[in-house]
Amino acid sequence: MIVQLLLSVITYGSLFAVITLALNLQYARGGMINFGIVAYLAAGAYAYAIVTQEPPSGLDQYLFGFDGPWWAGMIAAALAALLFALVTGWPTLRLRGEYLALTTFAFAEVFHSLLLNERRIGNGSVGLSNVERPVPEVAGIAIDESGFFAVAALALMLVTLLVFHRLLASPYGRVLDAIRDDELAASTVGKRVGRLRLQVFLISAVPVGLAGALYAMITTLASPSLFTAEVTFFVWIALILGGERTILGAVLGTFGLVLFEELSRAVPFESVRAAQVAASVQHVLTGLLFIALLRWRPGGGPKGDRS
Amino acid sequence: MTALLEARGLIKRFGGLRAVGGEEGLSFAVGAGELVGLIGPNGAGKSTTFNLISGALAPDAGQVLFRGEDITGARPESVAGRGIARTYQTPRAFESLSVLDNVVLGADSAGERLRHAFSSGWRAEEERARAYAVEQLARVGLSDRLHQRVSDLSGGELRMLEVARQLVRDPKLLLLDEPTAGVDPALQEALAGILVELRRGGMTLLVVEHNLRFLLRLADTVLVLTDGELLARGSPAEIQSDARVVRAYLGDEHAA
Repeated sequence: MIVQLLLSVITYGSLFAVITLALNLQYARGGMINFGIVAYLAAGAYAYAIVTQEPPSGLDQYLFGFDGPWWAGMIAAALAALLFALVTGWPTLRLRGEYLALTTFAFAEVFHSLLLNERRIGNGSVGLSNVERPVPEVAGIAIDESGFFAVAALALMLVTLLVFHRLLASPYGRVLDAIRDDELAASTVGKRVGRLRLQVFLISAVPVGLAGALYAMITTLASPSLFTAEVTFFVWIALILGGERTILGAVLGTFGLVLFEELSRAVPFESVRAAQVAASVQHVLTGLLFIALLRWRPGGGPKGDRS
Repeated sequence: MTALLEARGLIKRFGGLRAVGGEEGLSFAVGAGELVGLIGPNGAGKSTTFNLISGALAPDAGQVLFRGEDITGARPESVAGRGIARTYQTPRAFESLSVLDNVVLGADSAGERLRHAFSSGWRAEEERARAYAVEQLARVGLSDRLHQRVSDLSGGELRMLEVARQLVRDPKLLLLDEPTAGVDPALQEALAGILVELRRGGMTLLVVEHNLRFLLRLADTVLVLTDGELLARGSPAEIQSDARVVRAYLGDEHAA
């Protein structure tokens, strides 16, 4: 029971921390508000599912299943998230602040709606449930699946953290800070602002796509209901909770929030009704937490307010 | 002397009001190696002219030529890349960076490229960029402030910081927008020395300045702007004795 809880906190905490890290890079360093980051996760999960699942049969309505190996699925997931970031970032990155936030939100909603209504992509609302997952074994001996995926998620998170840290500690990070502080002054010394912003968008999309692939492996499902705007705001809460300024804060904030969710899920209920009420209460509490954080945020005002 | 910078028929309107350019637009040329002063009363269009040259604004009509190439409407980073540097009337600083980093940023160190972020090949060039930045900061009197936050600097010091950030770029043309405003007299003297040095080194300068005592002894040529139009052009002596200029701009004190 405790072990399961712990593994699930590590697994989901790590997966969501990857998204928080991406947001941290985009927002805290790049000055870009992305309210549609869940779409990268969805793109990764669906790409993984489509590449690894078997061709359609029986009642399946999806068109493509390539029965590929898991690593091909991972590559496809990274590319899909990258492509989504490129297609949505290219036309929108000239927008600032809340305009960018609204546009990214809209793109994610369009993508969600596409997955829901175009059944040839992923069976519509039913989703894809034949997701292939690698059989974890070391030297021919099968090992515990939940432990394996917890380690995989943790590894992905740590690699993302190290890569982002290295990136931001280099002079490249200094340029990003400068652009966030004052775009015009940065372009006056020759910094190609539009190009750098797009780079940040693309760099941060890759690990989120990989997290999407892992997420699909773990849940063995890719369905639209997993990738709603709720995920985006969950991660935003985690980022603000941890303090947007530090990479470590972003990770700790996410783990804290996931722990809270997993604990509240672990509470036993007498009836279905009680469980439903508890689920609603949890949503209300999360919402209140978000509002409270925005009001008394630890990291000071948003960038837009400072000028 | 060949023209390094040439404005031809520039017109910029803000909500129907003409900020720069009369009927025929604003035209002037700045020769290579010249130190040209740009003066005129408030609202004459001096800063707007700078914005049109540096790409911060695109003109409604007219052309900007730099070394014979048309750079009209080019983006600021592309204008900067061609060797035009500028400061702003209200100094702009990167507030989350240290004083030194604010200046290093002007040097375009190779380490700033994404492909170098994961190697260490950039360290040597970054060191050079830092050393050069330290040198330029010393020149503008900020040697002992290198590791402070820019929020600790005074208005005049911010101005000098911005000058240093442009100097590390080794520009061919430097546009200075009111470099002496808020700068204490001793530093103004130092700045005058720097401008003379830069000019001697072959740099071309275009300087907007209200402090005429400062400007008129440094400038080779002075352009006088009123209501977005070129009223006069000449040597400092000619400008000072031009009756129209005296009336329109210098005022009774000088006319007397």
